[in-house]
Amino acid sequence: MKKTWLSGLLGACSALALGASLANVPDKEPVRFALLQDFTAVYTFLTNEYNQGQQDYLRLVNARGGLDGHPVEALVRDTANEPQRGIEAYNRARGDGAVLVDFLSTPVSRAAVNRVLEDEVVMITPLHGRGDASHGETFPFVFPMMATYWSQAAILADYIDTELGGLAGKRIALVHIDSPFGREPVPVLETLAARHGFELRAFAYPSPGTEQSATWSDVRRYRPDQVLIWGAGSGQQVSVREAIRNGIRPEHILSVVWLAEADAEHLGKHMTGVKRYEAVAPGRELPVIQAILDEVVAKGEGSGPEENVGSSYYNIGVATMAVAVEAARLALAEYGAPLTGDKLRRGFEQISNFDAEGLMPPLSFSATDHQGGGFGRVSRWDGGAWVPVTEWRSVYQDIVWDEIEKDAAGFRDGR
Amino acid sequence: MDIAFLIELTINGALTGLMYGLVALGIVLIYKSSGVPNLAQGAMVMIAAYLVWMVAGWLGAPVVVALLVAVLGMFLFGMLTERVLLRRMVGQPIIMVVMLTLGLESLLRGLGPGLLGAAPKSLDLGIDMMPIIVGDVFINREYLIGGAIGALMIGLALFFFRTRLGTKLLAVSDDHVSSWSVGISVERAVAVSWGLAGVAAVAAGVMWGSVQGVDWSLTTLLFPAVAVVILGGLDSIHGVLVAGLVVGILGSVVPGYVDPLVGGGTRDVVTSLIILLTILFRPHGIFGREEIERV
Repeated sequence: MKKTWLSGLLGACSALALGASLANVPDKEPVRFALLQDFTAVYTFLTNEYNQGQQDYLRLVNARGGLDGHPVEALVRDTANEPQRGIEAYNRARGDGAVLVDFLSTPVSRAAVNRVLEDEVVMITPLHGRGDASHGETFPFVFPMMATYWSQAAILADYIDTELGGLAGKRIALVHIDSPFGREPVPVLETLAARHGFELRAFAYPSPGTEQSATWSDVRRYRPDQVLIWGAGSGQQVSVREAIRNGIRPEHILSVVWLAEADAEHLGKHMTGVKRYEAVAPGRELPVIQAILDEVVAKGEGSGPEENVGSSYYNIGVATMAVAVEAARLALAEYGAPLTGDKLRRGFEQISNFDAEGLMPPLSFSATDHQGGGFGRVSRWDGGAWVPVTEWRSVYQDIVWDEIEKDAAGFRDGR
Repeated sequence: MDIAFLIELTINGALTGLMYGLVALGIVLIYKSSGVPNLAQGAMVMIAAYLVWMVAGWLGAPVVVALLVAVLGMFLFGMLTERVLLRRMVGQPIIMVVMLTLGLESLLRGLGPGLLGAAPKSLDLGIDMMPIIVGDVFINREYLIGGAIGALMIGLALFFFRTRLGTKLLAVSDDHVSSWSVGISVERAVAVSWGLAGVAAVAAGVMWGSVQGVDWSLTTLLFPAVAVVILGGLDSIHGVLVAGLVVGILGSVVPGYVDPLVGGGTRDVVTSLIILLTILFRPHGIFGREEIERV
């Protein structure tokens, strides 16, 4: 029988003991990372693979002796995307000594911001949460660590400008889920529209995006040159299907990061040519993924189904832990044990040009920039895999940082 | 005014509404026989879709076989739910029964993705993705087939209530005590209605699963379905047809024109307004019986 998240979760719980049980990890105080995520509600399209990648990477670290002899423990709990459950799980994890938390949930991570700032626990919010948390001086313990949705929109717009015949005079449709996440790219795209002289029109569809036909009838009549789709989960599949049905060619569809192999499988041949923003390289050929296959999965220590290894969301999970472990390594080397949230924060801020052996763009953090530079690339579904069509790039960060500054100022003012 | 746009919104909305009607039909079938508003119908739709996916997508059986297995499975599931859960609630306040169905919804919503994997599953019925194009009007083939199945299922339900078993169900819906007194097994009749709601869930789950994939979000179909049953009347099959069309068309046409002006989000507002205004001005719905006690 296929392993499911349930078996994955059971395996996850065993991670509590895994670090200490490994013979090749000396008996030092463990470093504890709390992976308190939504396994049962809204983010389920992503959580299994993402969390599996995180746990497998930590198992790889432990199999290699841990962090200077400190095993890394994953505290895994389900929050069902509910802030109150997330806070409860956070309090328990903090009591257990967690120095880092990853909720993989915008509502939960937003609810926890003030607590982690007060408790001095590092919260990573890769590809979710609030974009203004990139402002390190306002959010010293929060690390978006990958491109915000503002940066993603900028990269997709730049791709249209440089590779698809330019932005000037074009009609760009943004078809998005009707939520703060869906509307997030609008201000950046509006600024770019003014700068480059293209027409932007946003089309919202109601959450969770299961029925979008009326929206796409309107999009078709707008006759856009390019369409950006901004949703997640099954709503993304519906968006692509409705676009195709309305005569929009796959080559003219560009997606936010949330479009993956499972979506392509569902859409079949109609998906070929669709492009997406990519924060982390997918696939198994990368050195770190090969190492996981050889040193973790091949020994029966994998935390979930082997077929997930190398998928887009799995690799994003690996990348998050690669960065976190690198931060912990730097912190332990510089400030010594025991690792605290504040030491870990300073470890993050020392990371420079770290790409986990080609798994992701070179990320650098500072006390000011917790986004890591806002890098990414565009990839295209070729019928069997996501193939990059650009190099890693970071663009229009002046516009992105205007948004970050504006929203961070709002947070400081209590808005 | 772009007439083709209006026609397209109306047709696709009507077809979508008939597909909502498939979910609503299950709620009405149960309410007619037992007076229980089943808030777990959305989750039953999801479970039915998972069942079809398991047999067709996972085990590789033909879709027809998967459908037969799912129809049988969900019929038994419905009857079992009545036998194990609902029958124990006889004599309890109706609010507790409603809470029970809410608990069942929550359980099923976690159980399906939990046991079968939470990533959206593909349910390919082989329906061509390209629309039927008439002039400048694009008609979605999946909605067309789904709408036709919706209309067919509603027609079959109407026919069913003219059969001997259906007449018994009608008697049960009128008065449990009188039905008992003339020898009708009320428990069995109610169990059959739950079983039939399970069958309706298969039709809804397959068509919506084909449109959007199979995952937890199928449970959200409960919201428009509730609007349909409230507008049409909780105990009216005719109401499912008419209200399904109204909810579907308004939910398509109004957002089609208003969303661009206000930035989106009006379809759920339309659905909510339908529920609120119906309860305020015609609490029994268009076709419902006035003596129905509201919860």
